[in-house]
Amino acid sequence: MSDLVAAAESMKKTERFTRANWVAELASRAGLLIAILAVIAYGSIANPAFFSTGNFVNVLTSMSIVGIVVVGMTFVLVVGGLADLSVPATIACGAILSLGLQPMIGPVPAFVVAIALAGVIGMLNGALVGYAGVNPIIATLGVGTVGLGIVQAAVGGVIVYGTNPASAELVKGRILGIPTVVIIFAVIALIGHFILSRSYWGRWTTATGGNYSAAQASAVPVRAVKAGAFVITGIAAGISGGLLGLTLQSARPLVGTGYEFSAITAVVVGGVSIMGGFGSVPRAIAGLIFVQLLTNVMVLEGVRTPVQGFVLGILIAGAVGMDAALRKRGGG
Amino acid sequence: MTGNKFILAMAAAATLASAGWANAKTVCYVNAADSHAYATPANEALQARAKELGLEILSLSQDFDVQKGTEQLNTCVARGVDGIILWPLDPQAYIPGLARAQQANIPAIIINSPVSDDAKPFLKSFTGPDVYEEGEMAADALNEAMGGEGSVVVIAGQAGNGTTLGRVGGFMDRLKETGSKIEVLDTVNADFDQQKALVMSRDLITRFGDKIQGVYANDDTMARGFIDAWKEAKPSEKMPPIVGINGQKDAFESIRVGDMYATIVQSPAEDGKLAAETIAKILDGEEVDDRLPIPLTVVTSENVDSVEPAF
Amino acid sequence: MRYLALALQYRVGIILGLTLLISALVVPGFLGLTTLNLGLDRASTIGIIAIGLTVLLIAGQIDLSVGSVFALSGVVSIILQPQLGILPAAVVGILAGMLAGAVNGLLVVGLKVNSLVLTLATMLIFRSIAHWITDSQPVSGIDIMFSLKVSQTYLEIFSIRSALFLAAIVLLHVWLTRTIPGRNVFAVGSNAVAAKESGIASGRIIFLSFMFAGGMAGVAGVLQSLVTNTGSPVFGSELTVMVIAAVVVGGTRLEGGRGSALGTLGGVLTIGALTVAMEFQSVPAYIQQVVSGCILILLVVLDRTVHIRPGTGREPARAVQPITQGGGSA
Repeated sequence: MSDLVAAAESMKKTERFTRANWVAELASRAGLLIAILAVIAYGSIANPAFFSTGNFVNVLTSMSIVGIVVVGMTFVLVVGGLADLSVPATIACGAILSLGLQPMIGPVPAFVVAIALAGVIGMLNGALVGYAGVNPIIATLGVGTVGLGIVQAAVGGVIVYGTNPASAELVKGRILGIPTVVIIFAVIALIGHFILSRSYWGRWTTATGGNYSAAQASAVPVRAVKAGAFVITGIAAGISGGLLGLTLQSARPLVGTGYEFSAITAVVVGGVSIMGGFGSVPRAIAGLIFVQLLTNVMVLEGVRTPVQGFVLGILIAGAVGMDAALRKRGGG
Repeated sequence: MTGNKFILAMAAAATLASAGWANAKTVCYVNAADSHAYATPANEALQARAKELGLEILSLSQDFDVQKGTEQLNTCVARGVDGIILWPLDPQAYIPGLARAQQANIPAIIINSPVSDDAKPFLKSFTGPDVYEEGEMAADALNEAMGGEGSVVVIAGQAGNGTTLGRVGGFMDRLKETGSKIEVLDTVNADFDQQKALVMSRDLITRFGDKIQGVYANDDTMARGFIDAWKEAKPSEKMPPIVGINGQKDAFESIRVGDMYATIVQSPAEDGKLAAETIAKILDGEEVDDRLPIPLTVVTSENVDSVEPAF
Repeated sequence: MRYLALALQYRVGIILGLTLLISALVVPGFLGLTTLNLGLDRASTIGIIAIGLTVLLIAGQIDLSVGSVFALSGVVSIILQPQLGILPAAVVGILAGMLAGAVNGLLVVGLKVNSLVLTLATMLIFRSIAHWITDSQPVSGIDIMFSLKVSQTYLEIFSIRSALFLAAIVLLHVWLTRTIPGRNVFAVGSNAVAAKESGIASGRIIFLSFMFAGGMAGVAGVLQSLVTNTGSPVFGSELTVMVIAAVVVGGTRLEGGRGSALGTLGGVLTIGALTVAMEFQSVPAYIQQVVSGCILILLVVLDRTVHIRPGTGREPARAVQPITQGGGSA
């Protein structure tokens, strides 16, 4: 019984902003914008190469692949699902299958099948987390390990090469001067944003993450909603992997390593609470833009790789610290 | 959990069983990874050759984790194998494990990557390409392409990884040794990953622009990353000379169309085969050289059609 | 039904037994002294770190930075050898681990932040420091003979590492079950607010748990560096996942409040036995991953089934809660 009390107790705390506290909300939003502008300002002064169309297109292109994962990961955090650590497996699944199946069924069906299978991995995660109630960290870790193992076994552990250069040209090409991947990312982000902020599903997602029992009491299909967040991430990571495979024209099993942490970093820096119930896609993407610009400036300035990791670490710590501080004030 | 007697009985059975295997000699092969563009064909070649020679291979995969590998050496010793082939990922860390193998009278050789000189007393031989030498050859190739001067960027593998250390170290030392006027603008770690190399190359190109007069990538996949980034950023400008390592099909194609200057072919099949043959000789009581290199070939547009790509 | 319940309760033991049984049947000569010695030694690195994480998980927190602390402590203990000598340097290495843990604890308790994200941050930071002070090059120690001594086998079964692990796990068992501070850890993990109200200093307990976890990761890292005579910034990058898996297989819950030292022992030994058995059969690494991943999933699902109260069929509300409630004493 005490479990329930504790749960209710902490639920109250995860209500991040009360209505009276829109000031805090505004501050946290403006904070990120100011931070982004500060990086841009610093970059422009420090390095003449920074403020150029070419460089901004670079940053955008580089962030698109991980950006698609970020959209999915936002759902996972908002629904209170902590994190999806199976992303490397789903990315590998997307990349390897979308290239490996090309000779057999053609590029477009291969891409679709790859994403569908990544979605299946997401469904497994969702079933374990949403329905069996397994802790998301463990569930996604386990499913990811198994999935990656199977993918590796399936291709015998070697690199898969693309056989359809036309599909690569399509993905690498530009439409009105904007790289195709950036456009795909923007479309997915818009759809994600629409679902999360304007649809029933989005409202349910926020409600489930904010207060599970209350959402359940008001007839929200909490289990399905929770599972859904992982399916969305699975599909997003699958698309991401497919695009990655097509741009690189080669895929190896470990192609997705590290993307889970990059995505979590972006979402958290964007101020989406890991406690669930609060966050939006634009916030997460703002976080991503900030991290990417900062990394870009550091590389342009010749900062060594270890130092970059250090700065990123400090940044994440700062972001969660800020989140906690705001939550504390917001919740009274 | 189990009675002492039971354990003893099982141990006795184990001893008998291992005595039974003595005819087919077992060799422990601690490889870099099961699943890798270079390592997989090398492993396969080693297994196939060993089978022909009548050796039983016990294959353990480190998955690029040194710590795992040092512990796997203990597994080999405990398993009482007849010989050990180790793919070192660190110049020092395996020495105590190799010493233990020597105490147990198990001959050991290393394949593919060098270790520090302190390990020499514990090793019968080192077969395979020398990553340090590859770095040197890359330096020579780039030096030639650039006429001995200019500024370059180095796209390296994982920080702290043995192959990276060798390939970067050999390159830098050789430049110094030959008195080349090539200046290194920056060295970045792209972890042998094409996507990372692509992203970092974009940044490097933005940062240095036309100052990049040459590129040295620690492997061909990363060289490919730079090529793609350059084509995005400066589609109409001439590609600076790029030197990669490994000799992948992909790189051969790039050399043919003039995107890359050179690559260094090291054949994984040769690498694996030589190790199997060497350990077989040692087990037959033959003396072997303590250094058995596999041929390394520098491939440029001149000989690209006469050399076989490595994989 | 009763037998089923009993079986579920001792599922870790059963899985371990099954692993050993199947291994013994498939792998010739598996149940020998050498294998026992080897399995223990292989398990002890994971095991020593797992001891720290068991306490931390019971207290309702998690630490993703243990792999980085492992590397950092090892590097420190090797890099200081020329100045301090081997043993003092080792002590400093362990202290560095404790310090890293204290930083985690201080930030989690002080800022009241979620430990999952915070230790993700410190994971990057500590790893960067290890790269920084070594310039990304592995460093070698001054005396290789010492390494050989450290890795020797005693009484045909124990290495220093594995003896230390077994001793520590027994101590942990006693501490968790027989002492008041030990029980307080459970109280903090299952309900930090209630624990605080009943006069337990939950903040302090959480802080100390982090320091302990960092310290144990430090011990494991220093031992690894002594055994290999090398400090490398890339050591332990794959460790964290394995350790968490071992602890969770042993029945400790990420939600806090539940877990046991003996369970962790079972989990660690299962993973050790599984690794050795599969390596003896040359099973490719990716198949090993599939097998251990499946066992992990199976056990956590079983764990859930045991604790869904019969009759209601509903999952307990705790399941929806994130790992921790910030600093626990908010």
